[in-house]
Amino acid sequence: MDFAKLKEQLTELALLEEVVVEVPAAPAEGEGGAEGEAAPVAAEVPPAEERPAISEPDYKAKGFHLDVKVEADKVVETAKALDEQGFFLEAITGVDWIKENQLEVVYDYSCWQPLCRVVIRARLDRGAPEVPTISEVFPGANWHERETHDFFGIKFSGHPDLTPLLLPEDADFHPLLKDFKAS
Amino acid sequence: MESQSLQPAIVQFAPLDKLLALGRANSLWPMTFGLACCAIEMMATGASRFDLARFGAEVFRPSPRQCDVMIVAGTINKKMAPAVKTLYDQMPEPKWVIAMGNCAISGGPFVFEGQYAVVEGADKFLPVDVYIPGCPPRPEALIEGILQLEEKVTGSRRWPRVQCD
Amino acid sequence: MKQLAVNNYHQETFVLNLGPQHPATHGVLRVKLTMDGEYIVHAEPVLGYIHRMHEKMGENRTWAQFMPNTGRMDYLSALSYNHGYAALVERAMGIEVPERAEYLRVITVELNRISSHLVWFGAFILDLGGFTPLLYAFDDREKILDLLESVTGSRLTYCYFRFGGVYNDIDENFVAGTREFIKTMRKRMPMYHDLVTKNIILIKRLKDIGPISKETIRKYGATGPVARGSGVDYDIRKNEPYSIYPEFDFDIPVYHECDSMARYMVRMDEIEQSMRIIEQALDKLPDGPVMAAKAPKIIKPPKGDYYQAVEAARGSFGIRAVSDGTNTAYRLKLRSPTFSNLSLFGEVCEGMLLPDALALMGSLDLVIPEIDR
Repeated sequence: MDFAKLKEQLTELALLEEVVVEVPAAPAEGEGGAEGEAAPVAAEVPPAEERPAISEPDYKAKGFHLDVKVEADKVVETAKALDEQGFFLEAITGVDWIKENQLEVVYDYSCWQPLCRVVIRARLDRGAPEVPTISEVFPGANWHERETHDFFGIKFSGHPDLTPLLLPEDADFHPLLKDFKAS
Repeated sequence: MESQSLQPAIVQFAPLDKLLALGRANSLWPMTFGLACCAIEMMATGASRFDLARFGAEVFRPSPRQCDVMIVAGTINKKMAPAVKTLYDQMPEPKWVIAMGNCAISGGPFVFEGQYAVVEGADKFLPVDVYIPGCPPRPEALIEGILQLEEKVTGSRRWPRVQCD
Repeated sequence: MKQLAVNNYHQETFVLNLGPQHPATHGVLRVKLTMDGEYIVHAEPVLGYIHRMHEKMGENRTWAQFMPNTGRMDYLSALSYNHGYAALVERAMGIEVPERAEYLRVITVELNRISSHLVWFGAFILDLGGFTPLLYAFDDREKILDLLESVTGSRLTYCYFRFGGVYNDIDENFVAGTREFIKTMRKRMPMYHDLVTKNIILIKRLKDIGPISKETIRKYGATGPVARGSGVDYDIRKNEPYSIYPEFDFDIPVYHECDSMARYMVRMDEIEQSMRIIEQALDKLPDGPVMAAKAPKIIKPPKGDYYQAVEAARGSFGIRAVSDGTNTAYRLKLRSPTFSNLSLFGEVCEGMLLPDALALMGSLDLVIPEIDR
């Protein structure tokens, strides 16, 4: 596994986000610093820069080594890059950011030797969440994507069998959405 | 839930009934119906130290056609509930149900506001005879449950109840 | 006509439903098997019969209230799950765990690992048709349960760890009892190997059955003894050390034959390695507090997400927590090892005989509530 090469590949695939460079203590994986930042605005607003959304958080504090944000359609390419480097898929899950009207798909990858944990994120529109499946690259993703679909309603286009995995076969609700009300 | 009344036997002999009840109580054959964590305690009760076999409940039959008592050990899910009902219906009369563990009694620790998957207790759709609380109940508690069921079937208790003051 | 009838007979397959109530499925797992005679053409596990909404409860319960849930996911090695969750919150909040507490954690987790492997051993041989090893395994397990009960208060679904340490200290009886247990267990292991491992029936039932290649392991993300039986040298305790595992001298058993026998041997060897770790931990056990002096009372991890992996008895258990700074988690994802381990079952068991597929399933060491969460 070549960490430098991997970083290069992922930097190419990462999406570009606006990061306000001057503000100290802004979290590395903040939601696009220029708009939603709650920090007080200085007298002169520093220029916002577009940078690839890849960061190396402190492993001791966070538990993973690389954190990459990608567009939804780049997910398969990312999976292929990680597959070439010998990674395996730990988990796929979703997070419901209801206040921003977005659903986030989070992919956790890990490597046997040497230790490296990579987190890939993709934000989707909450009204019509759709992302291509990576089950061609990693067959293990098949069940993870079914589970994420169960819980959040995210459609994985190209998935061979997107039926409920953990919920009853005729379930039409998605329980982990923040506005889910059990009947 | 509504209870069904069985046709009483045409000819009844009290001593024969007593004998049959004694026989049934002392050879309750449980069904292997471990759903979750309580299943392991049920297995431990059947294993060497706690030995459920000395109370007659030795043979844990997987097939419902061959057992008397269904020990519901574990959480009943809404997806699993029809299967539980089918298994209960497949058991021949006379049959009993023991609800083992908090989940089978009332949903256990998995009941919260807005829950969508757990049936809150086996007695929502099954006639339960003995409730054994615990999460999971100790094997001694399951043995006490079997003894209470025996008392329910025969009318008298095999072992005097231990008084703790 | 007769020729046509014979051809039609050979081409027909039928669907056999295995479970959800079945003595050999270790919980409520249903497998839809398309069979050609005794051979499996296609297997489709159906899950969800014990789905208990742990991830939803993670959002409804406070961080501290969620700890009992971790014990109920994989109830056989509940302490490893406790450990993973406690380590996650300690990582997020920067809580330092005192040394004695770390040693107690390792001792209890390794005892739990041995008891989990003993249950696996008993249930696995029971699936293959041998009833007696179950009784011996459970007898040994009861000794471990006595020890752990004297410290934690529970027999099965432990909730012993707290954020910042453990809640109860051990005493001399525990140390003496554990040393006694290791002595007796070391005498019992040769008996297990003589009676079971070298048994010709077991060898014939497990050797070369259910081969899982290294590439399949990687593509499906399988970890734990399933991966180590296929030549993958990956154990979180060595590859991504947490707690005080770096201070102990122990081996990770890896077998390269990739069959069910290899997975069986990995777990039997792991029992011995766990005993080594416990002995070293008891020798080096320091004095001190068992709970961090400055452990915060209100648990509110800073905003952001965190990941923690530990080596449970079945593989790499991971938790991903997204915190929004309040006292409940925003999202708690539990990555269970058996979920990924079972996902390769559909591909591997094609073309196998049904009893062989059950031997494969037993060697995967499934605990269904952990898959369904």
